[in-house]
Amino acid sequence: MDGMHDLGGRQGFGPVRVSDDDPAFETEADARIYAISQTVAPDKGTIDWFRHTIELMPPRAYMTEPYFQKWLFVILIEQIQAGGFSVDDVLGAAQGAAPAKAPKAAKTPKAPPPVQSVDDVLKRVRGQYGSFERPARTPPRFEPGQRVRTLRHGHDGHIRLPAYVRGATGDVLRHRGAHLLPDAGARGEKRPEHLYTVVFTAPELWGDAADARDTVTLDLWENYLVPA
Amino acid sequence: MGTFDREEAARLQRHLHSHLPSDPALRVKTLESLVVERGLVAPETLDAWIEAYSEHIGPKRGAHVVARAWTDPDFRVRLLEDAGEAIKEFGFEGSATGHLKAVENTADQHNVVVCTLCSCYPFALLGMSPPWYKSAEYRARTVREPRVVLAEFGVTLEDGVGVRVWDSTAELRYLVVPERPEGTEGWDAARLAAIVTRNSMIGTQRDLNPEAA
Repeated sequence: MDGMHDLGGRQGFGPVRVSDDDPAFETEADARIYAISQTVAPDKGTIDWFRHTIELMPPRAYMTEPYFQKWLFVILIEQIQAGGFSVDDVLGAAQGAAPAKAPKAAKTPKAPPPVQSVDDVLKRVRGQYGSFERPARTPPRFEPGQRVRTLRHGHDGHIRLPAYVRGATGDVLRHRGAHLLPDAGARGEKRPEHLYTVVFTAPELWGDAADARDTVTLDLWENYLVPA
Repeated sequence: MGTFDREEAARLQRHLHSHLPSDPALRVKTLESLVVERGLVAPETLDAWIEAYSEHIGPKRGAHVVARAWTDPDFRVRLLEDAGEAIKEFGFEGSATGHLKAVENTADQHNVVVCTLCSCYPFALLGMSPPWYKSAEYRARTVREPRVVLAEFGVTLEDGVGVRVWDSTAELRYLVVPERPEGTEGWDAARLAAIVTRNSMIGTQRDLNPEAA
């Protein structure tokens, strides 16, 4: 979807607030949101659906909410959609109401959840190592060195073809095998498709005034590309 | 209904944004009270995750990998071939490193990493991303005017140097391997790791300072 999240190449922003030695988390609130995100994700969720739920924020909110507050809304919405708690539970808790009891139908564990130690967490982080590559269903359509053009249009759902690169011609740098297509992942489907790293010259993307020495690479799925 | 219903998710976004209080800390308290009340997670577990990412997982990991690549030619080859596999030798694999790629700076190419669509970052190797990496300014401008952005970080490039911007649009994650600075001949990997900065591994610093050791 052509949402506010698709920021590449947008103009009018000021300088980057440069820093080189930051604490892991800017605020305690950020830290707790990150920790919750790593521990309470619903079983059925995909990274693509997580990202798409952020993209569905009202545009004004997208531009003003701090980064981890965006995650907070996704966690709330995932839980509401999975039946973990209701909108009224959330708004009630925000008003300081006594926490609503879980509805009887909800699967509330009777025993308190096991406490994870720092060592447990470090093991779990290692266990998060995962591959998005799957056996290819078709031979790759493109090969390194080949000229390709990106589609001019996206679609209403989740897509990882940024607006700034659409309709542009570049060269396939590498074939990366078949990876799960995010467009399908955001619908809960698993569809492996060939993935390519494609390199574009800066003048191709930004016009003749751009520095001809510079290039931008993107990792793009096969259905985003046509032969040039 | 339920997950993957985008119309419903959009409606919930609008509803919650209109009705939730704006104070970030109060919102987090609300969320935490709900997930703890429902038995989804123990507060002590959240503390452990925060400690893991504050004390154990961070850019020092990446620095050790870079220093090893500088001092061990065989490891450098393995790293450039399949960085996701190579970092297992350190036990640094994990969140968002399954398709890690190492890209080397050279005398004529400088690499810099951005995620224009969200803020993808190799968490298990470099820890939490810096505030600027997640900012609209960095995400919007780096692909369009990388030299101006790099100048804001104090990077100066010689005439013959091209800038390659890596926009992380898939699950590949990029680690920039900076050039080993002159004046570090004979140093061991541990000493070298101390001069490898987080920003140099994202590409917003080019020249490392041996005196930072």
